[in-house]
Amino acid sequence: MFDLLFNITDWLRNTFLLDLAFWITETPLSLFMVENFWNVPLAQVVHILGIGATFGATLMLSLRVLGKAGTHQTLTAQADRYISWTWWGLLVIVISGLLMITAEPIRNMVNAVFWIKMVALLLVVLLSIGFQKKVRAAGASGAVDGQVTGGMKGSAWLILFLWALIMLCGRWIAYVPV
Amino acid sequence: MYPQPTNIWESIEYSSLGISIAESLWAFPMIETIHVIALVTVLGTLLVMDLRMLGWASTAVPIRKVSEDTLKWTWMAFVVAAITGTLLWISKTSSYMINPYFLTKMGLMAVAGLNMLFFHFVTYKTVDQWDTAASPPTAVKLSAVLSLVLWMVIVFCGRAIGFTLGIYY
Repeated sequence: MFDLLFNITDWLRNTFLLDLAFWITETPLSLFMVENFWNVPLAQVVHILGIGATFGATLMLSLRVLGKAGTHQTLTAQADRYISWTWWGLLVIVISGLLMITAEPIRNMVNAVFWIKMVALLLVVLLSIGFQKKVRAAGASGAVDGQVTGGMKGSAWLILFLWALIMLCGRWIAYVPV
Repeated sequence: MYPQPTNIWESIEYSSLGISIAESLWAFPMIETIHVIALVTVLGTLLVMDLRMLGWASTAVPIRKVSEDTLKWTWMAFVVAAITGTLLWISKTSSYMINPYFLTKMGLMAVAGLNMLFFHFVTYKTVDQWDTAASPPTAVKLSAVLSLVLWMVIVFCGRAIGFTLGIYY
């Protein structure tokens, strides 16, 4: 596993990403981010709070679909309550994440774990769009509890798993050698 | 190989568990990862409850119901965060015990705990009167604001520890 990650990182080092990363380190925003000791930790704090909002909302909606929380509410009510929070939280995650990449472009962009994280993030976004559409459709179908299919439950689990994987990668970006 | 412990914190740090975590390449990052997943679950579920207590979200749902939906998940995640946090602490105990952000974090978590106890055992006694209120009484809102502010500062302290561990001695 470590060998594979190392080989991917080694390959990344020979792409345009290395030059791009070096170029980013010279930009005013990157310099601003690193010249004050607290800028990077503060961006990380905002990042974590954003993940709290998005993951919390995702968890509550998933638990409703799985029948483990909020079952006194209709699917539509829970969808209305939580879906927008997943996306506003994601906006905070992306903005703070971009600041963190700008601060430390080499550690991030020339790093296999970072790109695995980005692929997982793309997957979870696409999957969530489909999942949320299905939840809304099931909620609108008429029955009080909606029509929760096995596929929706599987998607709920997969989305939670992918978020856990994203957080795993997020932490390991800092630990794998680049 | 390791020096003789001169105080209780060093005894913990140089225990076989402490040394195993500190010497392992993957143990600290893996435990920290579980800590992060647990703490965002605490944050996310607390946010749902606090926003309801403020009357800013889920206002059509009784406060009791929101509490039922979130509290057990908050607690489960908190227990996981506490266990993983303790394991991280065991691996570098003396560095944590002289780090001002760690000590502040522990103090603020104690305050957050007291705030929660006060809410559940004092404020909550009258829940029948404001269970379904879209805008609950000030005492309820104050508790929610305290919770939100405290946990945000606790997250900051947690991150600050990671950037300052080892610079105090």
